[in-house]
Amino acid sequence: MFSTKARIENTLKRNAQPFSLSPVIEVVEIQGLKEEFLKDTLIYDPSQKEDEVFRELSTFEKINNKYYRITVRNLVVESKDILIAIVVSYFVIILIAFVFLYYFNSKGNRKLWSPFFKNLEAMKGFSIKSNTPIVLMDSNILEFQELNNEILILTKKVSSDYQNLKQFTEDLSHEMQTPLAIMQAKIENIINEKKLSEAQYLQFSSLQKDILRLKQLNKRLTLLTKIENNQFANINKIDLTKIIRKTVDNFKELFSAEIHFSETEKVFVLMDPYLAEVLCTNLISNAVKHSGTSKSVSITCSNDCLIIKNSGTIAIDKPENLFHRFYRESKSNHSMGLGLAIVKKICELYQFNITYKFQKNSHMFTVLFKSAKV
Amino acid sequence: MKFLIAEDELDLQQSIVTYLERDANVCEVASNYDEALQKVELYDYDVIILDINLVTGSGLDILRVIKKSKLRAGVIIISANNSLDNKLEGLDLGADDYLTKPFHLAELNSRIKAVLRRGKYGGDETIEFNEIKIDTKSRTAFITNIAINLTRKEYDLLLFFITNQDRVLSKEIIAEHLWGDDSDLVDNFDFIYVHINNLRKKMTKESAKYIKTAYGSGYKFQNH
Repeated sequence: MFSTKARIENTLKRNAQPFSLSPVIEVVEIQGLKEEFLKDTLIYDPSQKEDEVFRELSTFEKINNKYYRITVRNLVVESKDILIAIVVSYFVIILIAFVFLYYFNSKGNRKLWSPFFKNLEAMKGFSIKSNTPIVLMDSNILEFQELNNEILILTKKVSSDYQNLKQFTEDLSHEMQTPLAIMQAKIENIINEKKLSEAQYLQFSSLQKDILRLKQLNKRLTLLTKIENNQFANINKIDLTKIIRKTVDNFKELFSAEIHFSETEKVFVLMDPYLAEVLCTNLISNAVKHSGTSKSVSITCSNDCLIIKNSGTIAIDKPENLFHRFYRESKSNHSMGLGLAIVKKICELYQFNITYKFQKNSHMFTVLFKSAKV
Repeated sequence: MKFLIAEDELDLQQSIVTYLERDANVCEVASNYDEALQKVELYDYDVIILDINLVTGSGLDILRVIKKSKLRAGVIIISANNSLDNKLEGLDLGADDYLTKPFHLAELNSRIKAVLRRGKYGGDETIEFNEIKIDTKSRTAFITNIAINLTRKEYDLLLFFITNQDRVLSKEIIAEHLWGDDSDLVDNFDFIYVHINNLRKKMTKESAKYIKTAYGSGYKFQNH
């Protein structure tokens, strides 16, 4: 404002006529000098139709022996407006930046991480039991590529270890059969050929029993492996009541146990006939074996469930271990602890639900079938 | 009777021979695929005992040859492989029976006898021992032409005894024969005693005392 005032003074000194450009500049001839002053003033602006704040500098000068009042005004832009303008413009800039960054980042990330997530999915779908190797997506990111290589090595190793173990179990049980057969055959010949003492005979007879145990162990382990390998694909509609009836008859000849079998209606299930037999035999034999001195077992069969109860005095210590391999509740070695593990495996295979409960002095196994209503 | 035992495990092969020769049978052996094939093609046998896993080839191939050349011989497969598929394949190919290792020689013997009954004498499915006669078709036993009333297990027991005469049969062997897989469910085989005792009583009533005790806990079917 002072420089504008100075320019006006200079112009006036060069004998120019006093001029005005309201409201910005006003030059008026006056009679005497006054103190110069600075103030704010409101002036109506017809173009904006509102009062605007102006900063006004009025000075009084004596130029060429004339007194002049020189008023210079500057429009004062309101600070509130400026603030709003700044804030808004900042917001807009940030918003735009944000949108762009978000867009590019997410697009870039998606592209960068896509191999990672694809591989993660592949890993989730990886089954140790299947022979198909895991298929991973290549990536040009070093770390991901390294991760992929490690996963490939790991899964390959795990798969081959699993296959080896499986092969080992199969081979072992297979290769055990022949030596067992030789042992058994030789014992039989010795018993028949030589004159033995009674004590010697008892020894041989107990050897035969041990061979029988090994044989059964072998058989059950093989069965478990086979179920795990899904080698029972022969699914039929099985009349379970018929199988239970047959099993019960067999058991009645073997044990002095009382077995009550009440069939309210015929039960049909969809499963492998051999496994159906194994399921019934194992459950019933388990009940008979653990029915104590009273030896009473009851079997109830209804539409989609099979309940096998046997008398007992105390509840099982660790019911959660009941279906584990080689878990024996009693110290006696009558059983191998594989029967119920096999039952569980069969139930898992066909999505039957098996539960154990101890109530009113009896152990109770319940199998819920997905009944085959055809 | 003339048997061929095609088994590559010499120990087992010789044990089978020893057991079977006690009944005055003639046993020939083959220890590998080629030998077995050669013998099957050259000679006649009543029963061929065939191991599936012969070192140099599969017993099933020999079975195919036997069936193709329409040999009369009965075939019993013995195998260390207890897979059902293998068993079904063997039986489909025309084997008369299938035994999984390990088996009792007495069991093998009784299966051989069963095959012989079904095959050679065609129709005449009876076994005679002194005054005892067993009709395997109707599953009935006669003592001096009087039918005796036997339970299913007693009948099986008698048949098993007669087919394994003069041999000591331990409770284990008997239990396994009568109940197969279920026999391991009990840790003492006293229930065998009940069945044998009942059978004995029924036979003794007709004064047929052939079931003797051997070594205190074993049994032997013996002609006086």
